[in-house]
Amino acid sequence: MSESAPGRIVDAAELRRDAEETPDVCVVGSGAGGAVVAARLAARGLRVVVLEEGGYYPPEKVKMDEAWAFPALYQEHGQRATADLSITVLQGRAVGGSTLVNWTTSFRTPPRVLRHWAEVYGVSGLDEKALEPHFQAVEERLHIGPWPLEVVNANNRVLWEGAGRLSWDREVIHRNVFGCQNLGYCGTACPVGAKQSMDQTYVQDAVRDGARVYAHARAVRLEKSGKRIAAVQAQALDSSGKPTGRKVTVRSRLVVLSGGAINSPQLLLRSGYDPSGRVGRRTFLHPVVASAAIFPDKVEAFYGAPQSVASHHFADRGRGKVGFFLEAAPAQPLLIATSLGGFGALHEEQMSRLAYANGLIALSIDGFLPEEEGGTVSIRSDGRVRLDYPIRPEIWEALREGNKALARVQLAAGASVVYSFHENPVVMRTESDVALLDRAPWEPLRVGVFSAHAMGGCAMGRDPEKSVVDSRLKLHWLDNVWVVDGSVFPTSLGVNPQETIFGIAHWAADHIASAGG
Amino acid sequence: MWRRGRYRRERILLPGEHEGRRGFLKWGLAGTALLAVGGGTWLATRRTRPLPALGGPFQVLSPLEATVLLTLAERLVPPREGFPRPMDVDLPRRADAVVALAPEATQNELRQLVRLFDNALTGFLLDGQFHTFTDSTLEQQDARIAAWQTSRYALRRTGYKALKKIVYAAYYGSPKVWPAVGYPGPPPLDASERPQEPAPKRAEARHAEPKRGEGAPEGAAPQRPRPRPAAPAPRELEEIPAPRSGMDLPQGGKP
Repeated sequence: MSESAPGRIVDAAELRRDAEETPDVCVVGSGAGGAVVAARLAARGLRVVVLEEGGYYPPEKVKMDEAWAFPALYQEHGQRATADLSITVLQGRAVGGSTLVNWTTSFRTPPRVLRHWAEVYGVSGLDEKALEPHFQAVEERLHIGPWPLEVVNANNRVLWEGAGRLSWDREVIHRNVFGCQNLGYCGTACPVGAKQSMDQTYVQDAVRDGARVYAHARAVRLEKSGKRIAAVQAQALDSSGKPTGRKVTVRSRLVVLSGGAINSPQLLLRSGYDPSGRVGRRTFLHPVVASAAIFPDKVEAFYGAPQSVASHHFADRGRGKVGFFLEAAPAQPLLIATSLGGFGALHEEQMSRLAYANGLIALSIDGFLPEEEGGTVSIRSDGRVRLDYPIRPEIWEALREGNKALARVQLAAGASVVYSFHENPVVMRTESDVALLDRAPWEPLRVGVFSAHAMGGCAMGRDPEKSVVDSRLKLHWLDNVWVVDGSVFPTSLGVNPQETIFGIAHWAADHIASAGG
Repeated sequence: MWRRGRYRRERILLPGEHEGRRGFLKWGLAGTALLAVGGGTWLATRRTRPLPALGGPFQVLSPLEATVLLTLAERLVPPREGFPRPMDVDLPRRADAVVALAPEATQNELRQLVRLFDNALTGFLLDGQFHTFTDSTLEQQDARIAAWQTSRYALRRTGYKALKKIVYAAYYGSPKVWPAVGYPGPPPLDASERPQEPAPKRAEARHAEPKRGEGAPEGAAPQRPRPRPAAPAPRELEEIPAPRSGMDLPQGGKP
């Protein structure tokens, strides 16, 4: 790649022969972390190559159809989960990563989380003040701003009104959209290009500044040479995700891993780099419990911006307790049908009322108890990645209390009936029924648990024996490798993670450039 | 002959089953061991009853495996007015197409799971049923599904979850089911709503014309385009106070 060559997005599925690149920087992953780093380094004149295992889906190529989107745009074709299938994990797999399919919710990192990281994990220099200009920059670039209350859809309005009647804290969510048509299809990728996802923003910026982005190129191995990664080996994949046999090899001075909290640890483990045994440890998920309510009037929770109201009223429940926060979830048929508990006539009855259904979720804030270790990413003997997440009693307690809070909100907002996501759903018609949730089974695979926020696994920290990257996100034990994605969080966040990843990536790019440029 | 309850409590220890946290991978071992044990017995030779019309051809599933999935789907989605039957949405082929995307090891596990679920010996040992799932009465089939759903062995619940997810994704992913659930489908897109150019970059973005809705007045500070309300129009708005600010809990730190 010569210096004057314009950047472009290359579909590795179409490679007829193996490709080799020798840029300054190789970025693995084009999601919230990788895209921002790639754009910022390219803007400084560094030659950047991005390897992305998913395909490139500009707005005119996406379909507002779950049956197309889950296999095409999500990790493991929509089947990613813990090994025992007790927690469904939604993660994007495309140019733009999860930002292509997420619900656009944008929160800055809560300052108390940054303080916790400094106090407990020795993270230095990453505080509110240091991040402020970086958050400002990404908010401007991505048009992040509050969603007008008057266009909040009926599904989110349930949370707004219910929380209001209970006098709980509530807020309108900031979203990264520009020209949003309020269609409701964020989860199947925006068909009008209004979502300011990475593929439409920072990836395009990087390409304009000369970066070359390989779509359908899955990094499978890092080649070490002394204290450096000398090359990143990638497989070209066809459009269904199967290897074509072609390879892409990138030899670069600097390497940035941005595959997300499952895939960055996966790549390091596959490559055999885990000297302190901390890679893939302390994986956090914001484990989620959901609640479905039927209203007398149509809610049509499949339409309208999917997430626009939040309540952090229970985020801090005091020492020894796991906090949680409340948001809404869209109700398109496939997602709901595969998430609801039960089968047969009862499941069918619930599905038949989908247009009248409201879906709310409670997200537990894991990773803050001293004894919490979260989940583990490992590699199976047959080569597949494996995620385990034993749900601790304190998390179950938070999920139970979260479910009760959701049911209260829904009943306060006028729901006729509320169903839990237990295999034997708890049915609640009045406030006094909410106590039935205390007697429901809170065990794996007896109640649906979900996650769309995989975090941790390459935790930052001062102590190389207890963390994977330092406070500048460089791997402790190698000289030219940084990890820039949600995997570097030492705990979960207590808010949806994308903006934290944008901000930290924007901040880290300066350090990477000065260390390696 | 042992009584069924006692048998279940004391005698059955499938490999891995006593350890509920073992992974889905172990299904392969459990299934293989059980099928091997049953290899020469009368129960294990009980045939899966193949269904005459399955659709296909299939990339991964054998006709018998497709039969088991379709039979299961008939019970997960029992007949109900307005709901198409699983075969009407070509369920076996839709399920097969999703399974075909998985890594080969996952495909093999799923196929073993499907066979194990149908297996008469498994049914006998665990649930006291002498028949294959596909050759059972509807009541027996529902009981078999419920036994896996509520099993005290996490491993069986994992198997149930895997099967249920495949069936429901295949069924409710079909547009033919949408009318039954009151989902009108995606709204029609006006081609003019699609930006012709990639999203504007940096500084220019702030001055780009909004595609729809009220644009910024001439010369005024650029304004966020106003989105239209989601369908349906929101109900009568309550008096809405401004969102609380200054919460000391994690709330995004917005200034």
